[in-house]
Amino acid sequence: MATSLKKKMFRVRDFFSNPANIILTVTVLVLGFFTLYPLILLLIDTITVNISDLLYPELMGKRVGSFTSFHWKRMLFSDVSSTYFWVPLKNALLMSTLASVIAIIYGGTVAFLITRTDIKAKKFVSSVFIFPYIMPSWTIATFWKNFFQNPDIGNYQSGMLYYLTKIKVPESFVYGLVPCAIVLGLHYAPFAYILIGGILRNMDANLEEAATILKATRARIIKKITLPIVLPALLSTFLLVFSSSMSAYAVPQFLGGTSGFTVLTTTLRQFINSGWYGQGYIMAIFMIVFGLAILGINQYVTSSRRSFTTVTGKSGQISYIKLGVWSNILAVIIVLLCLFFSFMPLVSFALESCTVVPGDFSKLTLKFWIDPGYPLNNGIHGLFYEPQVWASFKNSLVLSISCAFFAGTFGILIGYAVAKRRGSRLAKTADNLAFLPYLMPSMALGAAFLAIGMKTGLSKTMTLLILVGSIKYLPFASRSGINAMLQLSGEIEEAAVIVNVSWWKRMLRIIFPIQKSTFISGYLLPFTSCMRELSLFTLLSSGSIYLMTTLLEYWQVWCDQSANALNLLIVVTVLAVNLLINKLTGASIDKGVGG
Amino acid sequence: MPQIRLEHVTKRFEKFIAVDDLNMVIEDRDFITLLGPSGCGKTTTLRMIAGLETPTEGRITIGDKVVFDADKGINISPAKRDIGFLFQNYALWPHMTVYQNIAFGLENLKWKKEDIKVRVQEMLEMLKIEEFVQRYPAELSGGQQQRVAIARTLAPKPQVLFMDEPLSNLDAKLRSEMRTELKRLHSDSNSTFVYVTHDQLEAMTLATKVCLINKGVLQQYEPPLTVYKRPQNLFVADFVGNPTMNFIPAKLEKKGKGYDVEFLGVKAHFKPNEAFDAGDREVVLGIRPEFFTITDSGKIHALAYSTLPAGMETTVKVMLNGELISSVVFGAIDYKVDQPINCDIIGNQVCVFDKESTNLIGQGSLEVQ
Repeated sequence: MATSLKKKMFRVRDFFSNPANIILTVTVLVLGFFTLYPLILLLIDTITVNISDLLYPELMGKRVGSFTSFHWKRMLFSDVSSTYFWVPLKNALLMSTLASVIAIIYGGTVAFLITRTDIKAKKFVSSVFIFPYIMPSWTIATFWKNFFQNPDIGNYQSGMLYYLTKIKVPESFVYGLVPCAIVLGLHYAPFAYILIGGILRNMDANLEEAATILKATRARIIKKITLPIVLPALLSTFLLVFSSSMSAYAVPQFLGGTSGFTVLTTTLRQFINSGWYGQGYIMAIFMIVFGLAILGINQYVTSSRRSFTTVTGKSGQISYIKLGVWSNILAVIIVLLCLFFSFMPLVSFALESCTVVPGDFSKLTLKFWIDPGYPLNNGIHGLFYEPQVWASFKNSLVLSISCAFFAGTFGILIGYAVAKRRGSRLAKTADNLAFLPYLMPSMALGAAFLAIGMKTGLSKTMTLLILVGSIKYLPFASRSGINAMLQLSGEIEEAAVIVNVSWWKRMLRIIFPIQKSTFISGYLLPFTSCMRELSLFTLLSSGSIYLMTTLLEYWQVWCDQSANALNLLIVVTVLAVNLLINKLTGASIDKGVGG
Repeated sequence: MPQIRLEHVTKRFEKFIAVDDLNMVIEDRDFITLLGPSGCGKTTTLRMIAGLETPTEGRITIGDKVVFDADKGINISPAKRDIGFLFQNYALWPHMTVYQNIAFGLENLKWKKEDIKVRVQEMLEMLKIEEFVQRYPAELSGGQQQRVAIARTLAPKPQVLFMDEPLSNLDAKLRSEMRTELKRLHSDSNSTFVYVTHDQLEAMTLATKVCLINKGVLQQYEPPLTVYKRPQNLFVADFVGNPTMNFIPAKLEKKGKGYDVEFLGVKAHFKPNEAFDAGDREVVLGIRPEFFTITDSGKIHALAYSTLPAGMETTVKVMLNGELISSVVFGAIDYKVDQPINCDIIGNQVCVFDKESTNLIGQGSLEVQ
């Protein structure tokens, strides 16, 4: 008996003498806590009475904190459930489906043209095409509004198009389902382009050549060979864009508003703002379930029996489809589209921020940028002298750096530990848990942490923001950490173990330097994502800590020029940081696609 | 029926010349191997004949049809060249079953459904893969995938079959098995085979004619045994044969009908098979390991540096005046390290290469004095 206990003790000690095991255990415990606990809190809050719920006649006189099924009933089976739940759900589904289709058709076509044909201007297109994906998600949305707005609709100002041509675009093309879907589709088209382009590029050219030699026509090759092989990637793109669109908040918030177009996220936001947490959290739970279901389907689709297996071989010799005159015509069309959606937003923000009267480009001024004086007519100083801007800039920076630090560091450690113990159940659990936040819609995760904040008294603090940011962006860092470590043969570290180099030294002197660029991108991705994130933070920071993005959301409503100036500032910052990353690490978001 | 003719075929990739002014004729029912180190242009040559790559210059004729002519701007698509192509990585379509993979080419030819069924069945039996007919490529082993690829290529009965290192992804045992099969397939199918490889053993054992290419330039194009016995230059001599030929720098001095030679402290007389006039000059002697024998009566005194017995034959590395020379002896022997041995050079296939141009000057026998 005693010996077996001793043996057990020995085994436990032996287990924890390996740093990888310590990291994995801590990861599983911490992440397990921070993903399960908020979910449980969410669920509990959907069946308890909150203080602001006491306004409902049904709950009058109930004790705060007592259990009730009122929220679920009201949400799903009452006379208001259509407005509060089913219509937003239907809108979100429609918007996401349309957006996915647009993204796949636009992004997929460009990917095909770039990887498979002799179209001109490949270099330019492949670098500019992905801009909209780097820029914050609302960039095209605000540009869309700036461009198509006319005095009859929305904020009753005139947009660029109207100012130049007096054309009045119908309201349904500027606000509501259609523009939301188009704008999201355009935003995610580069994502589709990267995924599909990657598959097309990596797809063995021999597969198509074999069909050519067996006398298949071009059309038949595309139909019978290329498309079926790319299909899993297409489906996967569809699902990922769909789930991203389902949780998109900024676009429907900016373009849905005046026409009463509501989706799950915007309704959730309204519930939380009104203090009706129970019903808001029900929505959050639905969004999480949706997200998980979609990714489950994705898992199933990409791991089927006929799945794409790459046999390594030489397939560098791709013969491009010759487009003839079309290689120029198509190039011009795509370059124009790229320019319009990548550069015009910046131009539009710059111009709008300089107008004296919004929408009137005949008189321009820089006062919304540089006037230090008495608050301008909308109550805000010139951008560079506005204390709110500097405060929010500082907050955004602190938040982004902190999140990048925590997510990046833990990502590397998790990557190291998972790669070390690859195949073990512990490693798989840690890997999955570290990826889980990626599947959670930002808004829902924000809601979950709001619940934590209210339980722990951390609400409206920077700590909570840093916590949620670090966890949300951990997947980026842990992915790149795992990839980097898997490429590294274990023998490299073992060679150091044999000559008795300590773990810290091994990490700092051997492993980190070798995979430096991948690890650095594990730090930088959370940073840039954090800088432009709105939906994750909007619930948590409202009314307390202004970030650049939440400040923009707030200004958007009532001070046009300043909002445009701030918007430009954010977009340019994000682009600049991205450019810096490219220069520093050589890691580019479109790697493996380019022309 | 089809003879393949390449005239002045050149392929440039920007500044890099992959194939340089290649001229060759592949006769009907030949089994040609294109042999050379990796990156020498052999795959590019094959792909140009198949039509997968467009030559920069030159003319390619298959049968009596010009399939490519740079001057006349003729470039017939691979689909219309009546060829089969076996890819190195098999290029099986991952989303199609074995049956669908094999039937695809026949469907393109608008064969009737029943005929396709019959032909596919025939191919499955021939390559012994009937049981896998409903499987997907990902569910097959490397050797099975290989067989499916062969079946798919052969199903439409191509007149010419191109193969790009088809065995390089297989393990040694399977490779030798498939080699046997391929040679039989060649005589059974009545087609012309063009085969790319970097494995000299494969090239030697399979081909009716070997085409050696180095840095895009044709080196020698002759039957394998000729290539082995009478290599045109140092590159060919070095590339073909295992263990490789011994190269020994020497100086020729005219003496009667032959030459006096001195190398590594050995004095010998070289008697050419056919007289040639080289004058006195620096040369490289090429001696195949099997002609550098170890016998007690040998006049060359050397040391056994190391002995590598393989069972059937033994490779002995002989240390002669500071240089290592390979010798292959039939049967198993095991010399002690640094054991003194006597050696001799036999046969009349000793090659003399010019040191400057590396070309073969002549062949003959060496009499050690």
